[in-house]
Amino acid sequence: MKTTETSAVAAVEPVKAPETRARPRSRRRSGPLAVKRQRAGIVFALPVVALVGSLLLYPTGQSVYYSFTNWDGISAHWIGTAAYAHLFHSPGFSQVLKNNAYMILAIPAAVLVALGTAFLIDTRPRGWRFFRSAIFLPTVISWVVIGSIAVQFFQDNGLLQGLLDHSGLGMFHPNMLSHEGRALVAVMITFIWSMLGCNMVIFLAGMATIDQEIYDAAKVDGAGPLKILFRITLPLLRRFAQFTFIFSLIMAFSGIFSLIFVMTGGGPGFGTTTLEFYIYQEAFSSGDFGTAATAGTVLFVAIFVISMLQLRIFRGND
Amino acid sequence: MSARPFEYVGIPRWRRRATRLGVYFGLTVITITMLYPFWSMGSASFRSYDQWLSGHGFSLTSWHDLFQQLNVWQMLWNSTLITASAIGIILVVSTTAGYALGTLRFRASTVVLLVIVAAMMVPLQSMIIPEYVNLAKLGFINHYYAPILVYAALGAPFATFLMTTYFRRLPEDVIEASLIDGLGYFKIYFRIMLPLAVPAIAAVVVLQFIQIWNDLLVGLLFLQTPQLHPITVGLATVGAQHTLNVPVLMAGSLASAIPEIIVFLIFQRYLIAGLTMGMSK
Repeated sequence: MKTTETSAVAAVEPVKAPETRARPRSRRRSGPLAVKRQRAGIVFALPVVALVGSLLLYPTGQSVYYSFTNWDGISAHWIGTAAYAHLFHSPGFSQVLKNNAYMILAIPAAVLVALGTAFLIDTRPRGWRFFRSAIFLPTVISWVVIGSIAVQFFQDNGLLQGLLDHSGLGMFHPNMLSHEGRALVAVMITFIWSMLGCNMVIFLAGMATIDQEIYDAAKVDGAGPLKILFRITLPLLRRFAQFTFIFSLIMAFSGIFSLIFVMTGGGPGFGTTTLEFYIYQEAFSSGDFGTAATAGTVLFVAIFVISMLQLRIFRGND
Repeated sequence: MSARPFEYVGIPRWRRRATRLGVYFGLTVITITMLYPFWSMGSASFRSYDQWLSGHGFSLTSWHDLFQQLNVWQMLWNSTLITASAIGIILVVSTTAGYALGTLRFRASTVVLLVIVAAMMVPLQSMIIPEYVNLAKLGFINHYYAPILVYAALGAPFATFLMTTYFRRLPEDVIEASLIDGLGYFKIYFRIMLPLAVPAIAAVVVLQFIQIWNDLLVGLLFLQTPQLHPITVGLATVGAQHTLNVPVLMAGSLASAIPEIIVFLIFQRYLIAGLTMGMSK
């Protein structure tokens, strides 16, 4: 799917590690065979270490270093925490943080709609596979395509206006994309729409893990469907709900650059500039690489904290 | 899977019917909401601009114009080349690393795995600027290999993680038996481990295909000459050079989405498996 898919999926994974690590290690720890095994292990691990080290971790470290400087791409002078003070006092930056905060509001919707849809599909009506595929489809479509369709929908005289006109609400002219306050709402709606399929599939995977016998036992005890839903299914899905929440949050913070680029270009004004878009603008429109690195580090810390939160939640539950 | 929780036997028949009707109604509404945008994209692309304004008619003008104004084949080729090469690199480094960290488990492997997991959390935007400057210094900008390497580095941690957890589940006996048969660790990787890893490889390929094919930022920064543009960059920046009308733009969007839709329809199973890997027990 889109940019941060992998990091999001990754965020689930820490759950798995403690379980699998329990497997007994190889018994032989010394001897010629063990030495060979060590050597082979190091050789086979080298490519990934070299690639990730040089092209991912090294620039991340540089970014943290440059975040304390007034870097212009060529030379950099250490100015320490003044760089952060400069960032937080930059015109528009408070709006940027506010936009990120608003994006958080879209997350519950992205989770709950997906949960509801997953429930409907999990009743396994005839043709549920078709419904699942159709709802999942937007997950594989690029933000660029989704963004240009969304523009057609939200712009003045677009499809949304057409719908309003046809339903007798023609007196409203939301014209969302050219209004500083409303453009972000349009981005949020598009975001929720395109996250639905992915979150739904995660919930479906969760529902598949619930043992049918639990339901049967509950029925024998006389529990109705609503009671089963609230007392059994929802509590057992907690872990998955937390995951979709954090996954969606990481996407909203660091995965929708292309959507914003195509839909609004960050505007009008700073209307839809979230932190990740601000980084791009600072570096490649304003040429202020230092501030961009500072903002990049803020984003990195935010994502790291969110991921850690996720890890803690998972560890705590199991 | 036969008796789902809601098909509760004690409920009167009419209520069961009403519930089922409600489920269909809900799913139909959601499905229309999800598919309508694609339908509107497709139908717009098969109309000329005037027909699109009036809302009916059929014409291939927009597709014709698209190929006239944009070098769509070149862009699709660029996307394919970049995506395939990056996936190739990711597969090599992730299967070898998965073998090393999951099966061989040498002494520092826990630390390496921890670093890889940490690397998965780095958002693209946080490292892309130093990355850009580094690669620019090396003169890599406007060469295919710049985005290929960047995508490979971005995709490798997750793929490695997936491979490691996958290889870990393979029984140690396989290794011991092969050693007794006189195979070295290199041969075990090629002859035993790689064939066993095919399902995990499929999941990585599908996930990475979608991710790389869809990405905009890396292509936008590292490939600035229009001839090198992948399809997403071509579409997103088209406004700067030409003024494409809506039907033509929709035709372009559809052209870029078709490979993904095909991959989706064929490999949906692996995609779901890859997405939810580690979630289900």
